[in-house]
Amino acid sequence: MYRYDEFDAEFVRQRVAQFRDQVNRRLSGELSEDEFKPLRLMNGVYLQLHAYMLRIAIPYGTLNSRQMRRLAHIARHYDRGTGHFTTRQNLQFNWPKLVDIPDILEELAEVEMHAIQTSGNCIRNVTADHFAGAADEVADPRPYAEIIRQWSSLHPEFSFLPRKFKVAVTGASRDRAAIQVHDIGLRLKRLGGGLGFAVYVGGGQGRTPILAKLVRDNLPEADLLSYLEAVLRIYNLHGRRDNKYKARIKILVHEIGAAAFAAQVEEEWQRIRDSVLKLPEAEIRRIQAYFAPPAFDTRPHKTSLDASDRDFERWVTRNTCTHRQPGYAIVTISLKPIGGIPGDASAAQMDAVADIAERYSHDEVRVSHEQNLVLPHVRIEHRREVYAALKAARLAEGNAGLATDIIACPGLDYCALANARSIPIAQRLSERLAARQHEIGELKIKISGCINACGHHHVGHIGILGVEKRGEEHYQLLLGGSAAEDSALAAITGPGFGPEGIVDAVEKVVDRYLELRADAAETFLAAYARLGAAPFKEALYAAA
Amino acid sequence: MSKSAPTASVLTANRLGDGVVVFLDFQGAWSEVLAAAAVARTPDEVRALQDRGAHDASRNLVVEPAIVEVRETTSGLVPVRYRERVRAAGPTILADVPGYVAPETRERTPHAEAA
Repeated sequence: MYRYDEFDAEFVRQRVAQFRDQVNRRLSGELSEDEFKPLRLMNGVYLQLHAYMLRIAIPYGTLNSRQMRRLAHIARHYDRGTGHFTTRQNLQFNWPKLVDIPDILEELAEVEMHAIQTSGNCIRNVTADHFAGAADEVADPRPYAEIIRQWSSLHPEFSFLPRKFKVAVTGASRDRAAIQVHDIGLRLKRLGGGLGFAVYVGGGQGRTPILAKLVRDNLPEADLLSYLEAVLRIYNLHGRRDNKYKARIKILVHEIGAAAFAAQVEEEWQRIRDSVLKLPEAEIRRIQAYFAPPAFDTRPHKTSLDASDRDFERWVTRNTCTHRQPGYAIVTISLKPIGGIPGDASAAQMDAVADIAERYSHDEVRVSHEQNLVLPHVRIEHRREVYAALKAARLAEGNAGLATDIIACPGLDYCALANARSIPIAQRLSERLAARQHEIGELKIKISGCINACGHHHVGHIGILGVEKRGEEHYQLLLGGSAAEDSALAAITGPGFGPEGIVDAVEKVVDRYLELRADAAETFLAAYARLGAAPFKEALYAAA
Repeated sequence: MSKSAPTASVLTANRLGDGVVVFLDFQGAWSEVLAAAAVARTPDEVRALQDRGAHDASRNLVVEPAIVEVRETTSGLVPVRYRERVRAAGPTILADVPGYVAPETRERTPHAEAA
């Protein structure tokens, strides 16, 4: 994985020193809250419902065991023993004291991590396919995500955009990075004898969900940064700064049309294409070298699947995937125990994952946007040992992609913006559906506690949106969304439900699906596409 | 909780140094306990609380002072909005947070990772 060079290390070290000074000046009263707020946000520090929250960037979701252990240490030493992995492949601590945050950032800098640009109207942490480098793909997307990270970090022209800006990259035809609900989504593809990108622009969720439009299908690899710069320039020039709710690039692309937007980008791009932004071949290869595959064991593997252990067999079926290297598997570590809190991990669990990754996964861990962890390179005959170690850490739930593998934002339990709780709804649904989840099959339930959609409810097969109604929690139900290569936005079924009713409502939808599906191979999403919303609405509202 | 009980107001904020939710109490100090909050029942009393919040924010004791509407019930003060009830009482799911250590019992150990 990428290692800081001298510039990176010095840049992050200086930033920590600057923020330490800013915190001291705030505590002494030299800086007012109005003056300090933009400074803390630039360093990932929010003030949430109950306390400060620190959001730490995990670039393209890749960690080594040393970094994971440091996160565990911070959880134990500065927070309350737990970290929360988010839908943007970041980690959030929910209880840091402002006075401690400079020390936390210093601890992070020692392991080449930071919290810069995890907030504010800038280019945020670049996300990528969490199976990158291990999956069947055209090329590993992480070198390009790293190149974008370097280009976008403290980019002087793009530090005060109309709104925040999110970029996702995938190298696979199967989209695990949700690229069409990002401001820019990049899909690597073969182009002539080399590599290039399909560029999608203007996607996003929030209060106005829109799928990104393909604005260029054949961007050469060397032109990546000049094209992104052109896109950002057009957005920076024309994006709405007068209305926060219309300020994302998706609104601009939607209002002027994708073709007109692409034409403006094209004109700007032609002007700057052959500038210093042209990526030298040698630089691309230099960054790629950081992401070279580990030294795989190429000996024939021995299978060790013990069919007599049903839980292990199910875990292998659900939580391990084919690796591009024969003899290896990709392992998903579920952070979704039945009835548990999606994305939460204790310090002890983070330490356990670090130990397992170091021993069995070439020292690598990934964070997925589905709030799980991934061991990207596990030798097949080590699955049993990995499973046993995960089980000892209470991390061996075999439910990846099933109904209990629920995405949920922190919601009203933590978030100052939320209108309703997300986590308890996820917990109740997990408990309610656990016994039948293998019968139900693939089902992605996604829950947001407000219209900002951090829980991705717009692209859930079943989405839940928490709202406030006369001061109390209320939930809307949506069906038919997808964040994958068949991206689609879910549609609201009708009148909403109270906190108890929403769990019953989801169960009714699931029951109707099981009743009407063509066979066990027809997923919920496929059945919904075939049947439409009517039978599910009938199940929800006919008796009312 | 009686929905028909008349509403009153309390002053809340977050403490600057650690962000913890606090309420202005009868003695003019900031308490972590809603039950200790000074209650305003008239517009003049509400304005006095607002002035005090702005004053203590300018003194860098607290941030984001705000008035919260509450009902005075037989079991104590209850915020009208569910959001404020959660904010006053803390996350509803702490018992399920893996590894959660309440601040009173948390041990602070020096960092001991090998270089």
